[in-house]
Amino acid sequence: MSADLTARRFGVPQVTIARFAGRRLNLALVGLLIVVTLVALFARVLAPDNPVQPIGALNLPLGSEGHLLGTDGIGRDILSRTLIGIQTSWFSALVVVASGLVIGGIIGVAAGVSGGWLDNLLMRLTDLFLALPGTLVAIALVAALGFGLQNTLIGIAIVWWPYYARIIRGEARAMAARPHVEAARLAGISRTRVVFRHILPGVVPTAIVTASLDIGNVVILLAGLSFLGLGQAAPAPELGADTARNLQQLLTQWWVPVVPGLAVLLLSLVANLGGDAIRNLLAGRR
Amino acid sequence: MSATDEKAPAASIANLTVALTRDGVRAEVLRGVDLKIQRGEIVGLVGESGSGKSVLALALMGLLPSSSRPETTGTITIAGTDMIDGSAEQIRAVRRHELGVIFQDPMTSLNPTMRVGRQITEATGDKAESLRLMSAVGIQDAALRFTVYPHELSGGLRQRIMAAIASAGRPSLIIADEPTTALDVTVQAQVLDLLRQLRDEFGCSVVLITHDLAVAAQIADRIAVLYAGRIAELGPADVVLREPTHPYTVGLLNSRLALDTPRDTVLQTLRPETATVAERMRGCAYSSRCPLADDTCRAQQPPLLAVDGSGAVDGSEHVRACWRDAATVRELALTRSDAPRILVSGSSTESAAPAVVVEGVHQRFVVRSGGRKREVHALRGIDLTIGAGEAVSIVGESGSGKSTLLRAIAGLVPVTSGRVDVARGGAQMVFQDAGSSLTPWLSVGEILGERLLPLRLGKTETAARVTTALEAIGLPASVSRVRPADLSGGQRQRVALARATMIPPAVLLCDEPTSALDASLAASVLNLIRGMREELSMTVLFVTHDLSVARLMGDRVVVMTEGRIVEDGTADQVIHHPEHPYTRSLLASVPEIEAVR
Repeated sequence: MSADLTARRFGVPQVTIARFAGRRLNLALVGLLIVVTLVALFARVLAPDNPVQPIGALNLPLGSEGHLLGTDGIGRDILSRTLIGIQTSWFSALVVVASGLVIGGIIGVAAGVSGGWLDNLLMRLTDLFLALPGTLVAIALVAALGFGLQNTLIGIAIVWWPYYARIIRGEARAMAARPHVEAARLAGISRTRVVFRHILPGVVPTAIVTASLDIGNVVILLAGLSFLGLGQAAPAPELGADTARNLQQLLTQWWVPVVPGLAVLLLSLVANLGGDAIRNLLAGRR
Repeated sequence: MSATDEKAPAASIANLTVALTRDGVRAEVLRGVDLKIQRGEIVGLVGESGSGKSVLALALMGLLPSSSRPETTGTITIAGTDMIDGSAEQIRAVRRHELGVIFQDPMTSLNPTMRVGRQITEATGDKAESLRLMSAVGIQDAALRFTVYPHELSGGLRQRIMAAIASAGRPSLIIADEPTTALDVTVQAQVLDLLRQLRDEFGCSVVLITHDLAVAAQIADRIAVLYAGRIAELGPADVVLREPTHPYTVGLLNSRLALDTPRDTVLQTLRPETATVAERMRGCAYSSRCPLADDTCRAQQPPLLAVDGSGAVDGSEHVRACWRDAATVRELALTRSDAPRILVSGSSTESAAPAVVVEGVHQRFVVRSGGRKREVHALRGIDLTIGAGEAVSIVGESGSGKSTLLRAIAGLVPVTSGRVDVARGGAQMVFQDAGSSLTPWLSVGEILGERLLPLRLGKTETAARVTTALEAIGLPASVSRVRPADLSGGQRQRVALARATMIPPAVLLCDEPTSALDASLAASVLNLIRGMREELSMTVLFVTHDLSVARLMGDRVVVMTEGRIVEDGTADQVIHHPEHPYTRSLLASVPEIEAVR
């Protein structure tokens, strides 16, 4: 309570928007994450047309009959391309984040729990990766492995885990220093059981929040790489690539590059808000 | 200081009711509090956790947290300003010119990124005045200390800095919220002296909020006992302490541990709360715990009336809120200890192998602070032998190495040099903060069940053993399904005790298990440990900073300071005939209440 008081005394604003809005809004935002995932999952069913086949007149405007978001420069349905693009981006982002969580989680927990030389070794390795410019390394890896979505994802995953390792290691270390872990050790519980029952569950909330806030970053990075010509190969739809390829139409038929660009914005916004909401909901429980 | 009428009270609270929402539950935290704080007097506001004493302090400052949506009726007037309905500007002016505040933990209430001198000057506006105040609150070499950061000071000095800030601008009222709870006894005595000096020198009034009657007894002119958001009893300090007229005050006094508490009987405790919130709100809130309660008490709220029966309440005399007459309550205070006897000295037989042997133990830590390495020599050659079945208390202040020694015996940290032997069965430990020693996401049943894993029992047998263990600590079997967060502080400490004793260890290590608990709860946990010791003839090593607790829990008392044992003897020998000067200074600092008996 006294910390609370001090904050008030020195005029630190206490009420954040999320806290003010309360639990219901947070739940709604998490619901939005689920909706996006469902849209991505059923994109092929929802898409009215084949995304790679030209099927209509060229450059139809928004709201045209049969083509709600119009068509692009070679007559493909933009709505269909965007939906499939969302599917690709969203699941790619989930895969990258999940791989970061798994690799970073294992390294982070191992380092945080063991302390000593193993901690030092793993964390210096992490530092090494953090020191490299991630995006550039990912590009170099893609160049080495060959173009294509799969290789792009592998490239990103290789540079993505150190961030998680750092955060999870800190959290695991803090958990391992708590009296309940000492109490468990004293109670004669085996080392592995202490790690899995008394430390790991305490790390999970932070890991989930970190990961959910990170989805937006990966979506944007993937779009950026596709924009540069890496990633999903044409003619398959990809939000970043679709924006890039059609950029010259920005002044004449603006919706052709803008719609996929807006989809990227929407995805990262939903991911960030959802992540914030998860953090707020978990913070209330701890 | 404002030039208002000199006879007007420094603060007056009339019929104050405050409702707050906490964790989604709305509750009336204060229910009709009347209190006038006269100029130049020290009022001790005493209550257990949850009594509303801190909320009263916040209300006085006009700082009720808006996040808990406070709803206030009644009035608080300080220097002619209405602290409830006044404009933010007016209330801020009162806080700036009339109020000073000292919080429990100066480490969190001082700004860690600012030199202390600047923090004081923020309040005084003038460096010379700041230096003068620093000397006034007893900080030596004020000019030198002016430029240090809070973390470079000891707890006592930090609290003095807070006091300097609080007394800046000559406030008419200083509010001290548990100012000594986080401090060692010797420092506690100094801070209490300081509060009295501030009153004597500046003529300000002081509201001293504390859970410990003895702390209030040290310096308060008047004592207000708060229970469930109402004043239970209010009067001159010596009268309230010597002739308590409310059963709750009597209960508090009787459950307080003192250096002369009988060692061979079960400690007196208040009855546990059994009534629901609604039942408590209907009649006297204390009725379900009161040994004198009758139907009137359960049905109607008692008014606050003068003890001598004059009816009028003008703020200076002895008042209380109780239906039973004062004489009956007095009798309750005098009927002491028909309490059952308890085994005191352990069945330690000289021939049996000792439970713990510590020989020549040194412990050094390397502490890194800001790139600089510093070596801390926490234990400097400890020799200690604890016989099987013996109970030993270790007393010392923070930094004495007592907890380090306990952790070394538990095997939680390897010692730098020397030998630690624990007999077969090993050591189990009960930690200071029971809440953080229980894994928050596991249920009580799971936590206790894990202790039985090495025995490789079946599911049903594990459950049965868990139920037995819970029964032994006085909790129902249904507790095994809840998580530690759903339990109260006392219940959590019981669960921690159950975990430590369900397979009797060679030695039970207790690291200040009751220092975070209210007096009565602490007494009941101590009773439990003593009872278990008698039943299981367990060896107990009990670490505490409180001499009266040490005396009750140990047949032998060991005094530690600066990593060394300076005194080791039977409990009564150490308490009544201390040999080492350090033990004497500790004893002199223990706040005591002149006996009511």
